Amino acid sequence: MTTTTLTKSSTKGAGQARFNSRRLIDLLSHLYIWFCLLLFVAPFLALFNYSLQQGTSGIYTLSNYSYIFGSFTNNLLTSLRVSALAISINLLITLPAAYALVRYEFPGKPLLLSAVTLPLYTPAPVLGLGLVLTYNFSYGLITSIWGLVFAMVVGTFPLMLIPIVVALKDLPLVFEEAALCLGATRWQTYFKIVLPLIGPGVSAGILLCFIIVFNEYLVTLFVAPPSVQTAPLRVFNLVRTAGIQNTTAALAAFMQIVSFTAVILFFRLFGSRYLKGTYLI
Amino acid sequence: MSRVRLVNISKHYGPTLAVDQVNLDVVEGEFVTLLGPSGCGKTTTLRMIAGLIEPTTGQILFDDQEVTNLPPNGRNIGFVFQTPALFPHMSVADNIGFGLSVKGRPKPEINAKINEMLKLVDLAGYHDRLPRQLSGGQQQRVALARVLATNPRVLLFDEPLSALDRNLRETLKYNILDLQRRTGKTAIYVTHDQSEAFAISDRIAVMNQGRIEQLGSQTDIYLHPQSDFVAEFIGANNRLDGRILEGGSGERTAVQAGALTLQCPMRPDLKAGDTVAAYIRPEDIAVLKNDDHNYRNVFEGAVEQIIFEGSVAQLRVAVAGQTFRVDVSGTERLQLLNHRGQIQLGFNEVTLIPIQQAQ
Repeated sequence: MTTTTLTKSSTKGAGQARFNSRRLIDLLSHLYIWFCLLLFVAPFLALFNYSLQQGTSGIYTLSNYSYIFGSFTNNLLTSLRVSALAISINLLITLPAAYALVRYEFPGKPLLLSAVTLPLYTPAPVLGLGLVLTYNFSYGLITSIWGLVFAMVVGTFPLMLIPIVVALKDLPLVFEEAALCLGATRWQTYFKIVLPLIGPGVSAGILLCFIIVFNEYLVTLFVAPPSVQTAPLRVFNLVRTAGIQNTTAALAAFMQIVSFTAVILFFRLFGSRYLKGTYLI
Repeated sequence: MSRVRLVNISKHYGPTLAVDQVNLDVVEGEFVTLLGPSGCGKTTTLRMIAGLIEPTTGQILFDDQEVTNLPPNGRNIGFVFQTPALFPHMSVADNIGFGLSVKGRPKPEINAKINEMLKLVDLAGYHDRLPRQLSGGQQQRVALARVLATNPRVLLFDEPLSALDRNLRETLKYNILDLQRRTGKTAIYVTHDQSEAFAISDRIAVMNQGRIEQLGSQTDIYLHPQSDFVAEFIGANNRLDGRILEGGSGERTAVQAGALTLQCPMRPDLKAGDTVAAYIRPEDIAVLKNDDHNYRNVFEGAVEQIIFEGSVAQLRVAVAGQTFRVDVSGTERLQLLNHRGQIQLGFNEVTLIPIQQAQ
């Protein structure tokens, strides 16, 4: 009798101690996570705070934001246009390329795969300089938006290609074979079966590509003609010439918000339905 | 509903020969099974009929039309894969209607067909389900419906039941047979499971190393295997090598195998002095109680091992230096469970295969 009660109470005591130490670990890990989060977000919060003030007066206003829609609209539109064009060209290149790389065997395939990912390992100034030298042969490329667009395509198409390649590798061949046997043409099979099923990979590629192109300024600095000024480049130029203005901060903050929104939309739209694996039966 | 003919079909993968000079003639409405172990070329053969693989040499004909170089989408076939392979982003109805919609058929026709097919496979009312909301058996039935909706000339099955559990396999294999009979379609079925092949086929082609070893009805294959491989593959596990003795009639002969003399049915292509392999199926051997004189071959042996498998008990019996496997079913098997020591075995069925030919 006594022994049983003894053991009971002692296990209870031990349990309580364990419970307390677990709570402590819980608390510490939560604190750690919040600390990291704060560390990551702090620069943006500082920027956001600054963008809402007039000078350093401490008076809060939205006028900086209304100002950017007047003064910076062109820059934002240019950025969006460059992003949209780069993404479209990337899709036209990478969708067939990924299909060929995954579904067909040909000599030199591993070499080609490492060659196409080369831009990922190239420092931006090297890429920019190389592109400037390359563009020397064509007046049209130096003076129009296309030079910049192609520069972005060169820099980002591996980011588009790799998620699509991974998605295609994960997609069993049997779906395509089933579609062909049911009488679908190769095009119908691609557009009705393959493309929807690699949707997660394609959209991840689009997202990565958009974030990089929309925010890129270093390569832009090298290849953009004076007539083409993207939003990040404008921020850079303004900071260089006029110091840190509240309106510039507003533009920078707005760009950040656009990028955030893109990521959040991506996870809302695809995170639930597609990322959990539509094709994993 | 077509006749399918394969004429000298071969497939090489580099130096390996996957399919070697296969000839097959499947008549309209017939159910033919390609049976063999993995790697015997049966799936490759089926995929060549579908057009998913191009043969290296040879011809494939549907009726009198040569389809050898047509892609799968030009052949009007129905292919049921090992996995149901339902398009996961489409509803059950869209899956079934896929074949018709890519052909640009009008919507009402497609919808009518979907309803008809769902009723046919006993899944009426499942239109809006997604494939992942169905069980494995239901998915495979939708795959069948999807294939039948296009009204194919020939049905091709690539081990469609291998991914399912045993009870489901039992029911679904009769569903497949029933659907094939009702639609009257020519069917070619690939499996490595001999009982599945025996249950549903009109004819069976046993394949080995890229060749058809034997083509015939279930009873042909079961009772008269023509080669070592076929005999062993369909489960004649007791093999005794021996020599045919003098003095047999045209019908019967005696074979000396080690210390045992076996009374066997004679084959017309054998003569006295030939070396043969004598196969005795485990289920053809009876355990004798008293002096039972219904058997031409009666031997005494010692029970070495008894394995109880439920519906059958597997015995290993040593007879004159040879170990016989004996499958006992019926109530007898329960009485034998605790039996040790000597028993008497009797059998009539012996299949002789000439050894030179088998090599």
